[in-house]
Amino acid sequence: MTTTIGPNSPGPVRDAVDAACDRVAPTWPLDRFIAVNPYWGWRELPIAEAAGQLGALAGTTLTMPRSWFRDEWAAGRLAEHHLDAVAALGDPDLAGAARAVVHDRAEPATPALTQLPLVTDVVDASRGSAPAPGRTWSDVITHQIGQHCAGHFDEWQATWSPGREHGLFDSWRASLSVTHGFGWRHGSRWARAQLDSLPSEPTAAIAAIVDDLGIDDEASGHYLTAVLASVNGWAAWCAYRRFQARLYDVDDDAIVDLLAVRLAWEWLLASDSEALADALESWAHAWSHTAAALVDATCESQRVDWVLQAAAERTYQDSVISGLADGQPVEGEPDVQAVFCIDVRSEVFRRALESTGDSIQTRGFAGFFGLPISYTPAGSSLTRPQLPGLLAPVLDVSDVVTDRLGRRVNVDRSDVLAERQRWEAFGHLPSSGFSFVETMGLAGGAKLVKHSVPHQQHPPKWESDGLGDAVRLRPRLAVIDDDPAAAALLAQRVLTGMGMLEGFAPMVMLCGHGSLTTNNPHAAGLDCGACGGQTGEVNARVLADLLNDTGVRRELSGLGVDVPASTWFVAALHTTTTDQVELFDTDLAPASHRERIDELEHQLCAAGDIARAERADSLGLGRLAASPQRLERAIAARANDWSEVQPEWGLAGNAAFVVAPRWRTRHVDLHGRCFLHDYDWTCDHDVAVLTLIMTAPMVVTNWINLQYHASTVDNGRYGSGNKVLHNVVGGNIGVFEGNGGDLRIGLPIQSLHDGNTLRHHPLRLSVFIEAPRAAIDAVIASQPVVHDLVSNEWLNLLRIETSDGTVEERSAHGWIARHAGPEHRGPSR
Amino acid sequence: MTALSDLVPLPDLPPWSTVLALTPALLAAVASVAVGRTSVATSWRLAKAATGVMALAVMAITVLRIATGQHANGLARIDNVTVAMLALISLVAAVVTRYSSVYLRGDAHERRYASRLLATVAAVSVVVVANQLLVLMAAWMATSIALHGLLTYFGDRPVAVAVAHKKFLLARCADACMLGATVAFGTAFSTLRIDTIVDRAVTIPSLPVAGRVGIMLIALAAVLKCAQLPFHGWLIQVMEAPTPVSALLHAGVVNLGGVVLLRFAPVVDRATETRALLVIVGVVTAVVASLVMTTRVSVKVALAWSTCAQMGFMLLQCGLGIWQMAMLHLLAHSVYKAYAFLSAGDTVRRTQRAQLAATAAGPGTRAVVAGAGIAIAATVAVGALWAQLPRTEPLPASAWVLLGVVALALVPLTTPFGAGDHRSLIVRAAIVPLAYLALHDVFGRIVPHARTTPTLLLVFVAIGFVGLFITQATLLVAPHARIAQRAHPWIYAGLFLDESFTRVAFALSPPPAVRPRWAPLPQPRVTIAIPNTDHRLQLSAERSTS
Repeated sequence: MTTTIGPNSPGPVRDAVDAACDRVAPTWPLDRFIAVNPYWGWRELPIAEAAGQLGALAGTTLTMPRSWFRDEWAAGRLAEHHLDAVAALGDPDLAGAARAVVHDRAEPATPALTQLPLVTDVVDASRGSAPAPGRTWSDVITHQIGQHCAGHFDEWQATWSPGREHGLFDSWRASLSVTHGFGWRHGSRWARAQLDSLPSEPTAAIAAIVDDLGIDDEASGHYLTAVLASVNGWAAWCAYRRFQARLYDVDDDAIVDLLAVRLAWEWLLASDSEALADALESWAHAWSHTAAALVDATCESQRVDWVLQAAAERTYQDSVISGLADGQPVEGEPDVQAVFCIDVRSEVFRRALESTGDSIQTRGFAGFFGLPISYTPAGSSLTRPQLPGLLAPVLDVSDVVTDRLGRRVNVDRSDVLAERQRWEAFGHLPSSGFSFVETMGLAGGAKLVKHSVPHQQHPPKWESDGLGDAVRLRPRLAVIDDDPAAAALLAQRVLTGMGMLEGFAPMVMLCGHGSLTTNNPHAAGLDCGACGGQTGEVNARVLADLLNDTGVRRELSGLGVDVPASTWFVAALHTTTTDQVELFDTDLAPASHRERIDELEHQLCAAGDIARAERADSLGLGRLAASPQRLERAIAARANDWSEVQPEWGLAGNAAFVVAPRWRTRHVDLHGRCFLHDYDWTCDHDVAVLTLIMTAPMVVTNWINLQYHASTVDNGRYGSGNKVLHNVVGGNIGVFEGNGGDLRIGLPIQSLHDGNTLRHHPLRLSVFIEAPRAAIDAVIASQPVVHDLVSNEWLNLLRIETSDGTVEERSAHGWIARHAGPEHRGPSR
Repeated sequence: MTALSDLVPLPDLPPWSTVLALTPALLAAVASVAVGRTSVATSWRLAKAATGVMALAVMAITVLRIATGQHANGLARIDNVTVAMLALISLVAAVVTRYSSVYLRGDAHERRYASRLLATVAAVSVVVVANQLLVLMAAWMATSIALHGLLTYFGDRPVAVAVAHKKFLLARCADACMLGATVAFGTAFSTLRIDTIVDRAVTIPSLPVAGRVGIMLIALAAVLKCAQLPFHGWLIQVMEAPTPVSALLHAGVVNLGGVVLLRFAPVVDRATETRALLVIVGVVTAVVASLVMTTRVSVKVALAWSTCAQMGFMLLQCGLGIWQMAMLHLLAHSVYKAYAFLSAGDTVRRTQRAQLAATAAGPGTRAVVAGAGIAIAATVAVGALWAQLPRTEPLPASAWVLLGVVALALVPLTTPFGAGDHRSLIVRAAIVPLAYLALHDVFGRIVPHARTTPTLLLVFVAIGFVGLFITQATLLVAPHARIAQRAHPWIYAGLFLDESFTRVAFALSPPPAVRPRWAPLPQPRVTIAIPNTDHRLQLSAERSTS
């Protein structure tokens, strides 16, 4: 293959390019590290079919190895009759095969996936063509692309960056590492000439290359998907850029550039390997004629795995279902209503808080409290979104600067921050670094000692950088003062979503959450995903401020929402790592509420002790479970430990999402595995609230659930590998595992496995909704995203009947009643 | 200040002091053997206890040094360099061990890791007390071999194995240099006792050829082991080992070349060609590597390039004979870099802090020129005033050249631009040179320096660093200028030095194969279907995706 490439009409290829790019789910930068379902682009296919394609094209699997199901069965987390039940719903013939897997120890392991090769694989398979001893072309090309993308997208690490005025594809063609970094058979001049002969427009280049490689139009979609999957991490980064651009109605084509880059590698390698011309001809033939058959064969071979997967989920569902029928509505008016995020970690704390007194009612709602805001800390030049990644912020929040002191804070802070940046530059600029080390370096010794001594004193938050200790800022929505009527509309919308239009308790606690970890690149992943990977503090404080404002309350009552004058909203932050809860702005509370606040603080402390004792064992601190103070200190020291890789277990274990009034589950120990959203269908006449829940929080929980799932079943592709090798790229883009290679997305091994046991059991989310069939069906019918997730089995949907707490599940055959099985062995963990 | 000839030969070290000098190494060695034989929890407790006791032993050695002065015998020595290095090593060992005990929780081979970690520490502790050339050589070699076990801890990673192999080859070359030096010094001075070699080398009128060859070989070994261009690639790529291994490597191992040169400092001072080698390699590496560092996109790799540059700076100080600053540089860089690696996970938070303070535009030409003017004026003023103080000597020419480097370093602190109170410029400009001179003075009392430095070498250093400053200033003022954009691909590629070196090295000795390793999470088994020429898919050997 020595033909030079000419302009080619990109017509039919353009669709294939778009389709391949749409398959890639975005990944957020580390400072906003929200969970993403990496299979999001595949949702319009049934999960088993998507798995077949992903297996044949990318060599990934969506289920655990069969040996794992055998172990689950042995541990009682997979009931046998569920194998039969699942098989009966689909193909009864599979029941025998599934039983054989769990019974027969001699049953062969999961069959190996067969993956269609790229040109690089063909070249790697031929003898004597390795780019370097012990390396493969696939690896070095991934590394080269990774390094190039990092250079192109980096904003915060390097101080000397390449030109970016042209696209990624252009800058890649101009880079030297392709031509000079490899031993081309035809020499580096040839490589340069080849690159120069490519069309400069990426889609045209893709069309020309696909044509030259001999892949026919029909197979090009599959082939381009496979090519992009080989650089999945950077593709996900480019997809993020596109996703962000589209939120604001523009576009970003970096992902097409990336595809062109990887494809150009295929073409260069093919052109340089004349001896393989025949093999590559068969290769193209194989793509054009066997890709579809291989996908089908993969689906076929995985059918039993999906039976096992569904049976494991069913067994878990049983443990939830068994408790639901016993729920009783709580009598009496609560003294405190505490609204928590739906996060699974809230479940443990809510249960603990409820156990401190019947007068506390807890509720679940998305932790950004429905506020579409971004936040600009006073005196800083940073603005960050404080809402789910699917949405673009509409309102901006800043800190109140009303008095002379406040104005000085702004100025002082930017001075302090600028001064710090000078010293940073002194430490990092090339001609300063040497003298910096000689004059300031010895201080590193003191820092080494300081960080090695365990301590309980939490370090100051980065958000407070450059502020004096005494300075307290209050975030506030400008709209409250500018337009109370608009503010009241926003408040009404939020209260409607929360289902809290009446029956306000004297005190309503709005509790966001955040984590507390040190030296952790993935720290934001433990913060509130609904707040865009930040803590929920700003949202909780802004909402409390909004609802306490007398002007807003006046407007609200005009809208028919009467918040009693005796009701006070107090903002709080639940630190999930330590199970400590901090109340904010209590100095603003009326004197009448002082006592109640003190009592609440007392209850929160007690609840913290209970929640910590429950989690102690999972943190390896089980021996301290009986001594609350020592346990609290140990957990705080852990959170501050710079070498800690498992500060908390985050959302590991998540398996269900219950959309129902809290009384339905209040008596059940859900083991911190359930997202809980309060919902009362009797107040939702037009199904608007249910629609919102199923299109927003349910999608978010699906993203979280499948992020954990994918990181567990194929950490090499959808997880970020070993934390001890993590190497932050571009200051916040993501991590490399080690030197380089592809950008690593998803969760690290340490967030899923403790060295002995798996902490996250990869079960698809089981969504329990307490609502009439018709309402749920209406949402599924009207919302394509919900339809895809439900019908294509990206999650399990179950319905709770209000009258008796029985459950039915939605299957391909409609709603089917569920009964807890005869061999149910109690709640599973 | 102490003259060189006052120090050699050192008075005799009594036998029990020899035992004390070797106690830190013994402790680490014993613990290294023991940790493989107990449970994981006990192993780590034992390892931490060993490093704790090690620190106590080092304190005892320090007391001994203060109470009885510097001593040596045919095996070991207790002098200022020994005490400083032992203090550094025990600090780094204690911190890294504690860090690792948490960081590696749940890994399948924690105990093997702990054992190799302590073995490395033990070997380093021998290097810094050895007064016998063969012992020094053997301990240095043992350090490299023990470290090899840590660098290949993830033996299933091809890059980890390949890079460790590259380092292995270079280390064996360095060992060969050391062996050659041993033969040469043995021939020239009829002894392998280090302080005696130095004594004889400085008392004879001119250094014999064998002595010159010997010291040149030692400098070459240092250049190889300090990862100087073009032998730097392994240092950059060993991010394939756990973070604390990087901290240990950068703080306690890569700098040993500097320690060995310090041992032979008076001999180096008499061998102009060796000084030239160190200065040329050091300046080129410092300048090139620090520029490459600014183009790096990942935090650990940027830190590694920075170490490469800092080692170059240390070696050039050795070449110039400013041994006290080489010692300071070695110590300060070690603790700074250990901290930087161990806290590398904080990078995202640092980025967020930088975002809080982000400014739209960089400084203009005028601001940079003004900044340079202020920096130079302040440094000259501080230097001139310092010389007026009682108890200080006039600064030698070499110190003035290095003070010039300090002046250029100050520019980011003195450039008036952006927000902030510009009145504090002068304060900032004065603090740094003052700190520099104070440390120069303190370390001058600990480690002696050469009486003269060839002017040509000083000029070379000056040109190198002025060139570096001008390049940096150009990049700051006009980051998108044509020249900056044209140079970037070359610098980003590290001038392809490592690629060329690796190609040659691996052609001579290819790296070994990877070994499978237990993984906690499942890895899909994947077969890649390679078609053969009759269009049928043929299943190639199975491979795990990773």
